[in-house]
Amino acid sequence: MSVHLKHNEPKSNPYPPASPPSDPVGIGLRHPYYQEVTDSPPDVGWLEVHPENYFGGGAHRHFLSKAREKYQLSLHAVGLSLGSSEPVSEEHLRQFKELIDIYQPFNVSDHASWSASGNAHLNDLLPLPYTQETLDTLCRNIERTQEYFGRTILVENPSTYVAFAENDMSEYEFMNRASEMTGCGILLDINNIFVQCHNHGYDAHEYIDSIDAAKVGEMHLAGHIEQEAGDSIILVDTHSRPVKKDVWDLYEHAVRRLGAVPTLIEWDQDFPPLSKLVEEAHKARDIINRILNEDIADAAE
Amino acid sequence: MQLSEVQKRFKDTMLDHPKALDDPAADFAALFNEGDIPLPARLKVYRNNIIGSLTDVMIASHPLLEKLVGHEFLEMMARSFILENPPTHGCLNMYGGGFDTFIENFELAKALPYLPDMARLEIAMNEAYYAKEDDPLKAEELASTTPEKLQLKLRQNIRLVSSKYPVHDIRDFCIEDDPEKTMNVDTGGVKLMVYRPQLETKIVRLENDEYHMLSALKEKMTMDDAVESTLNTHESFDFQGFLQRQIELETFLTLATNN
Repeated sequence: MSVHLKHNEPKSNPYPPASPPSDPVGIGLRHPYYQEVTDSPPDVGWLEVHPENYFGGGAHRHFLSKAREKYQLSLHAVGLSLGSSEPVSEEHLRQFKELIDIYQPFNVSDHASWSASGNAHLNDLLPLPYTQETLDTLCRNIERTQEYFGRTILVENPSTYVAFAENDMSEYEFMNRASEMTGCGILLDINNIFVQCHNHGYDAHEYIDSIDAAKVGEMHLAGHIEQEAGDSIILVDTHSRPVKKDVWDLYEHAVRRLGAVPTLIEWDQDFPPLSKLVEEAHKARDIINRILNEDIADAAE
Repeated sequence: MQLSEVQKRFKDTMLDHPKALDDPAADFAALFNEGDIPLPARLKVYRNNIIGSLTDVMIASHPLLEKLVGHEFLEMMARSFILENPPTHGCLNMYGGGFDTFIENFELAKALPYLPDMARLEIAMNEAYYAKEDDPLKAEELASTTPEKLQLKLRQNIRLVSSKYPVHDIRDFCIEDDPEKTMNVDTGGVKLMVYRPQLETKIVRLENDEYHMLSALKEKMTMDDAVESTLNTHESFDFQGFLQRQIELETFLTLATNN
């Protein structure tokens, strides 16, 4: 006789299975857009959220569930602190995994940066010295995360405002090596490359041309601002403005090299109407389509 | 310098007085490359990101305090709080617990003695909003349960607030936002339940005996002990009436999952 415990049956998943979105452009789902996205789903291929906003439950989850019924989802974390000298928090992993199991995202990601030191979590993506010690530390934390989740993650290049004197490799080399050592993918933020290349005097095209193309699983675009700093200008990645022309140009260069990688328009403060985000996403889509069509025309010749 | 030490020094600098960034210690400054952009300007971007984003979180969860003391004063209190109490983990939904007691001891806020209780009310509302979903005990389930099997446990979104000020009236006053009006805050205290039956956080006023009973249940007393404790101080406590009202408010956890 078999004993059947009804309450132990896994709940059937109400969402479409995870798959790379057929339309490569996405936008961030943030609270000012909850109702509008629920009522009249915009013409984009996928949505991105910060999982930390949905940890533990809460009323937000209602809107995330509604959105996931219609869209593929990318869970883009900001709190794992993968570059901290201390191990990734078990509790953070547990709550993150709960969301992955429920919402079945096509991508899961965080950053090559740190936030936690001692008992403080500083709520920013802080810079790392690019040394062998840091690489080993980051890889240990990525491996722990991937083991816990039972899947690979993407790791994003951060915007940086300081560069360490003891760096013994470039950032793209650091990213490529982390990806090679752990099998993780790379989330290439084009605006972050532009910002930090300006702030440190690096070459943004060289960065994109040197990144391991096969590993790039997602790209991000966002707006930045210019701040006066002495006689110079420092660029600050604020996610509060439209994408700048120079960044669009750099994105075009990236698409020519990397192809139609899922691309996100990020906007996290001074929220515009939803239609503005969608317009930016369509701009990215137009660039992808134009380059794909050029490729097809070239192949036909 | 080892990575752990670099991160500790960076953290300490970020949480230090803002002026510490203008003239960072020589061994800390030596960690970074020199360039056209001065180091203090570079470090200030990080500090502004950290303190600015956390201040935004605090201001967003305290719209009533903002109405009562103004944006600039709330921002100043929040910044002082953040430097003394940075978050301890990467999820900020519940960040800001303890702001009420911080305000109690904040010298410049002592002229407004109801302010800590207003902070308590807003913290309760925020916690109710982010509380884990669970199912309520409904009248049908209650009716099909024998009295000896009945146990009452509060749902995770339930918060209780007691104040010697009329914080619910002060809240209405803030929401009404009429510059022509003033209000007297010395009209007596109030006991409230903050709860989230669906997507919206709500507030309901409680009688003293109801508050006593719910507090006892919140402290994980059994139902019988909670009733006894309530009757000891509130002789006229009507348990059946209490039960009926709280079932309507969906205060209790369904018996299917409350063991």
